[in-house]
Amino acid sequence: MQQITFNKGVRPLAVVAVAIAVCLLPQCKKDPPPGPASECDLTNIPYSPTPYTIKKPAHFPQVPVPSDNPMTLEGVQLGRRLFYDPILSGDSTMSCATCHFPQGSFTDNQAVSLGIDGTPGKRSAMSLLNIAYVSTALFWDGRVKTLEEQALLPVEDPIEMHATWPDVIERLKGHSEYPELFRKAFGITGCEKITKELAAKAIAQFERILISSGDSKFDRFVKGELDLEDNELRGKLMFFDEGQFIGLPDAQCFHCHGGITLTGGQFFNNGLDSVGDLNDFVDKGRGAVTGNKLDNGKFRTPTLRNIALTAPYMHDGRFKTLEEVLAQYNDNGFGVINEDPFVRTIGFPVGGHYTGLTPQQTADVIAFLHTLTDTTFINSPEVQNPFH
Amino acid sequence: MKNHIVALLALLALTFMVACEDSKGPSVQPNNFTLTFRATYDGQPLEKYKNYPYGDKVVTFDRFNTYLSDIALLNGAVETKLSDIEWVDFTPDDATNNDAVEVSFKYTVPDGDYSGIKIGYGVKADLNAKRPSDFSPSHPLYIESEYWLGWKSYIFTKVQGRVDLDANDTTETVIFYHCGSDPVYNVATMSAPIDVSGTSSLVIEFDLKKLFTFDGVLLDLEVPSNRTTSHDASNIALAQKLMLNFKNATSMN
Repeated sequence: MQQITFNKGVRPLAVVAVAIAVCLLPQCKKDPPPGPASECDLTNIPYSPTPYTIKKPAHFPQVPVPSDNPMTLEGVQLGRRLFYDPILSGDSTMSCATCHFPQGSFTDNQAVSLGIDGTPGKRSAMSLLNIAYVSTALFWDGRVKTLEEQALLPVEDPIEMHATWPDVIERLKGHSEYPELFRKAFGITGCEKITKELAAKAIAQFERILISSGDSKFDRFVKGELDLEDNELRGKLMFFDEGQFIGLPDAQCFHCHGGITLTGGQFFNNGLDSVGDLNDFVDKGRGAVTGNKLDNGKFRTPTLRNIALTAPYMHDGRFKTLEEVLAQYNDNGFGVINEDPFVRTIGFPVGGHYTGLTPQQTADVIAFLHTLTDTTFINSPEVQNPFH
Repeated sequence: MKNHIVALLALLALTFMVACEDSKGPSVQPNNFTLTFRATYDGQPLEKYKNYPYGDKVVTFDRFNTYLSDIALLNGAVETKLSDIEWVDFTPDDATNNDAVEVSFKYTVPDGDYSGIKIGYGVKADLNAKRPSDFSPSHPLYIESEYWLGWKSYIFTKVQGRVDLDANDTTETVIFYHCGSDPVYNVATMSAPIDVSGTSSLVIEFDLKKLFTFDGVLLDLEVPSNRTTSHDASNIALAQKLMLNFKNATSMN
C-alpha cells in the first residue's frame, strides 16, 4: 500500500481543504433541479394548527394521545379525508371506510372483508369505536402497538388495499388539495415532505375522535338519567356479575369486556374451537405474533359498545347473531388448555361444572347488550364521509 | 469604594460557606433504588400453564397481577415513602414466553440503613374511591381492565388457573381469585436490614404456593367455594383470607 505523506505544517490545512471540497461537491450535485419542485413550495400557506380537544363523555377515561402526534383540527380533518378517500388503494376503489363505515359502528358487517382484487381477508373488520383507548396492541392479533403503526399496514396488504406507499405518496403529492392540507396539519414546507408516516399520523388523529357519545341507554342509566327495563337490568347484573343477591348467575362477560369502554384490550382464547393440540388452530391469532404456542387461538377482545350494529361476530365472523354468540358461551368452552377460565364458569356451579344461562337469562343479557347501542355516535356529522 | 469591596468579599465568603454547607448534606442520585417484584411457586420462578404439585393435586396458573399501595421503607417509626400505588403484572399479554416477568420500579431514596418495608396489599381506600376516568393514561389506576364497574372497586389482585381434581393428568377445573373492595385491603410491614448506599436494589418475591397455604395446610380445592371468589359479597371471606395471607407469601432478597 502506498503511503501518502505531507510536509509538516501543510498537512492539516491540506486535509481540511480536501475534506471541505469533498463535502461540497456532492452537495452541489444534489441541488434539486428548478421547475416542478418549486411549484411544491408550500411556505406561502399559513401554518397555524388549532389544538383539538377530543370530546368524550364525562364518565369515560381520558383519551391517550401520544406526544409525537398531538391532536389538531387540521390533523383530524386531513385524517378524516384520507380515511374516506380511495386514493389510498391500488386501483382507487377502496378506502379505510370501505371496511369501517359509521353505520356498522366502523365495521363492514361482513364475516371477512374483500380486498380490491376480490380476495377475501382472513378476519372480520374490527370496530373502531373507542379504538383510541386500546393501548395494549391493535388488530385481532395485536401485531402493532399504535394507531400510527396500524394505519400503515392495510394500504400495502395484498388482500386489502393492495397499493404501495410510494405510489400513494406520489398521488398525494400531485393532488390539487392534499399538499395544502398536509401543510396546514403538519407544517411541511414542500409537497416532497409528504410521507406515509404523516398520512398515518393524520388517520390516527381522526381515529382518536371515534369516541362514544355517552347517549346510549346504558350511558344514560349510568348518568342517572333513566332506568333500564327489568330484563335489561337483569342482563346488566349478570353481565357485571352483580346478580347473585337476587339469584342470578354470573355471565362472566365483564372479565374480558371490562371497564366503561367494555374492552380491556387483552387477549383471550374465548373457547370457540375444540382442538386436540394448540397448533391445530386454523388461525393462531396472538400466537402467530408472539411465537408462543400457548397464545395460539387467542384474540384481542373487541368492544361491546354498539355490538348490536357490528354483526357478524368473532374474529372470523362465524356467528350471525348475538343469540348464536351467547349459545356458544353457554356451552362453557371445550377445556382447551389456554381457554380463559371465565369461559368455563358461566352460570351456576353444579358439582364440577357450570350450568350456563337459561333461555330467559340469555335473552336478558342480549337485551342489556342492546342498551349499548349508540346511534348518536354513528350519526355524528364529525365522523361522516366528508366527500358526501 | 472600600465599602463595595468589603461587601463583595463578604458575599463571596457567604457564597463559599453556603456551598460548603451544601456539600456536607446528603447527596442522592435520582432513581438510585430499584425495587423488583418476582412471582414464584414453591420457590421456583412462576411459569404460566406449567403443572405444579399442589398436595396430591396439580395446579396451573395463567394470570397473576396485583396492586400495591403506600410502599415505604422503614427506619424505626420513620417511613420513607416510595410510591402511593403500583400495578405489578407478572403475566402481561405482550410476553413472548410463559415465564412470569419480573417487574421493577425505580425510586429516589436517601442513603441509610433501613429496618424494613411496608406494603399495602391492594388499592388503599382513598384511591379505590376513584375510577379510571379520574387518572391520566400513564397512571397505574387508569387501567380499565382492572376496574370492577359493578362493585365500584379496583380488582386488587387477580390469580387465575386450573386444578386437576380427578387425577387424570388434565387440569380441568377452573380456579380464579379476583379480590377487591375496601374490606380486603390490608397493610403489612416486614423487618429486614435494607442498606441503601448509592445505587441499591431489593427483590421482593410473592410465592403462590404460600399464598394458598394457611397454617401449613393448602387451601382445599376440593371444596367448590374455595375455587373462586365470586363478585358479590357472598364469598368475600375467601378474598379477605387470601389478601391477608399475602404477607406470608412475601419474602425479601
